[in-house]
Amino acid sequence: MSVISFEIVYRGIYQKTLANKISRTLVLAAVKEGKQGISFGRYSDSPERNGIPAKLFGYIADNSEELQAVAAKYEPKQVDVSICVDDTMCKGVESWAWYGLQPITAVTKPGGTLIVTSNYKTDDLVKHIHRRGTPYKLAIVPGGASMAGLWVYKNDGTDARVLGAALKAEPSICSMASLEQAIRENIGGDAHIEAARASFEDTRSDEVKPGQGNTEVPFTFQLLKWTEMREGVVIDGVGGHNNYRDLEGGYEPGRNEVFKKWSTRTMRPVVAFDKCTKCTLCWIACPDTVFDVTPDGYFDANMEACCGCGVCEAICPVSDCITMVNEVVFEDRGSQYLMWKKDAQAYQGYLTDKRKKGKVEKRFPITGLAAAFSGAGLDGGHNLNSAKAKSVKDFK
Amino acid sequence: MSGETLYQIGTQQLPLMGKVNAIPQKAVEEYYTSGHRTCQGCESALIMRLMAKAAGPRTIILGSTGCMYVANTTYYSTPWVVPWMHTQLGSCGSAATGTAAALRALMRKGKMKQEPINVISFCGDGGGVDMGVAGISAALMHAEYNHLIICYDNESYANTDIQISGASPWGANTTFTPPGKKFRIMHTRWKKNIAALYAVGHTRCNYVATGDASFPADLIDKVRKGLATPGPAFIHTLDPCPKGWDYDPFYSHKLGELAVETGLFPLWEMTNGELTYTGISARLVYGNRKRRPVREYLEAQGRFHHFTEEDYAYFQGEVDKMWDNWSMPGVIPFKLGEDPAKKKK
Repeated sequence: MSVISFEIVYRGIYQKTLANKISRTLVLAAVKEGKQGISFGRYSDSPERNGIPAKLFGYIADNSEELQAVAAKYEPKQVDVSICVDDTMCKGVESWAWYGLQPITAVTKPGGTLIVTSNYKTDDLVKHIHRRGTPYKLAIVPGGASMAGLWVYKNDGTDARVLGAALKAEPSICSMASLEQAIRENIGGDAHIEAARASFEDTRSDEVKPGQGNTEVPFTFQLLKWTEMREGVVIDGVGGHNNYRDLEGGYEPGRNEVFKKWSTRTMRPVVAFDKCTKCTLCWIACPDTVFDVTPDGYFDANMEACCGCGVCEAICPVSDCITMVNEVVFEDRGSQYLMWKKDAQAYQGYLTDKRKKGKVEKRFPITGLAAAFSGAGLDGGHNLNSAKAKSVKDFK
Repeated sequence: MSGETLYQIGTQQLPLMGKVNAIPQKAVEEYYTSGHRTCQGCESALIMRLMAKAAGPRTIILGSTGCMYVANTTYYSTPWVVPWMHTQLGSCGSAATGTAAALRALMRKGKMKQEPINVISFCGDGGGVDMGVAGISAALMHAEYNHLIICYDNESYANTDIQISGASPWGANTTFTPPGKKFRIMHTRWKKNIAALYAVGHTRCNYVATGDASFPADLIDKVRKGLATPGPAFIHTLDPCPKGWDYDPFYSHKLGELAVETGLFPLWEMTNGELTYTGISARLVYGNRKRRPVREYLEAQGRFHHFTEEDYAYFQGEVDKMWDNWSMPGVIPFKLGEDPAKKKK
């Protein structure tokens, strides 16, 4: 008698199909061995938006009574396996649902496994993951985040490799043979099966000890009880605005205090203030009102609000003034402007270092349906680090 | 009864921007800020930001159902600084008239301090091009109420995952019109010419314009002119949508520019019976600049990726017709015919 539960944390729209394929196939593989299962999305994540973290859940049970008992609870409080298909979400996720910032391991059972697709090593990721009181295992599936579009799926084998790793983490789900059969029926052919097998064999997990990880306390807020809500569901607007930080002058808009959106970004703008001509274009073109105006007329991207679209980089007329850099290489959300004001030379070093480590050169490909008609694959990727694991080398 | 005899409050006369780098001096304040649940690179959110920035603090904003309702008010949180209220999908126009009428009545009865308060009612293309047309039409006929209706058009029902709307362009892939192997073009209707419809059909409406968030100074000025003009006003904006148009959000601004540079979406404003093209569109109309091929715009979007040479040619041909045959490009799709008396001879 046992129930296995899992969750898949993914980027809305971009990884919708990927997450669905992983979740469905895992359940269907277990069903092949007479088990019962269900895979479902979190209601509050819909309608999905590009990049906003979303979640799928799944249960696999020995019989239908057990399944009904756990599925009635809807959203699992604890899961055996957490799967995160983009490593930038290790910093925590702020979904549509009303949670504040949830650590990526928020519902991973003590001793459970967190599987992350990443080009980084365990230590690089653990420093981002919020520390907790119980241990968990961290397994990395090598490779960049696989991003696609609303209608088209980037069939690069990420699904098969994650499935192999998930089976390794929780071997009691089903046999490898059943998983292979489910992959063949729901995902693809020999190349995918080989990738799943290789991933099953290669995946190693490291134990993360209690207290290890990011010491930041995730941002939370008090939920209103229904008796505290006002007539007509009226809420207060965003209040006021301030000078820039504690300085004289400048302008910093008031901001939504219960949804910040920064966990949506996979990359962030870094600004070379020495090159800035104060043309105002980044400030006015930002859909998220990210740029605070400094007293001397510069524009400082507020890292609590930026969702990483890259429009500021696209619009900046000065070359190498604003560059988008992979979010994983940062450990803070502080002000770049203040850093530059304090020590311009040190800031230049910081800038060079971060760009070298993670400057995002490639853009998310236009997916369209051209590939589906021509049979050509979709290459490129949202992240700079698109180096693929050896097991996916042969994917077309 | 003429409009002049009625109780009048007047409108806010706000200074115009002229050029983009004047905005921080003239309108640094934000009335729609961060923390909305829109997609990365959402140009409709930018429209909201620029619209609120243009209107200023003494403004009431009403929003019909759509992305800009759902994404901005989910779970007891909001990025709005100014008062905002939701209205139903088809009732953008009636909400505008009703709010403007209520404010006027309260001021007339002395229950509220008399001052011009901006009333802006926005709708998406679902609300402004499909469902809400009747309501907006009625609102634009009531010349005694001062308000502005903005239709932010991302060319589909984007909130519910990209279903076709009356504003979706010919041939686009949407959830309702996926191209197949047998039938490549599943959406065979042309985009509705909505701003012109409201401009031409409502002779008491003194301000109608088209705008684009890629030209922020132009847009802010149009919003301010619309609010300053007595009576109802209407603005139609074209907003690139990374989710539904299928492109990297990095290109949001660029696509907005391309829509204008290719001549697909001319920018114009009709003020008190006179139509003027603005910005790049003016140069295209008066021959100081050439249109870029529409293909550049189409190829940058996944929703047109099933297009063949034939489709690109057809699309370009339709845009050429709009520029060469229409009596006003992007506005009046027909010309005055010959005198029938002459024809008889």
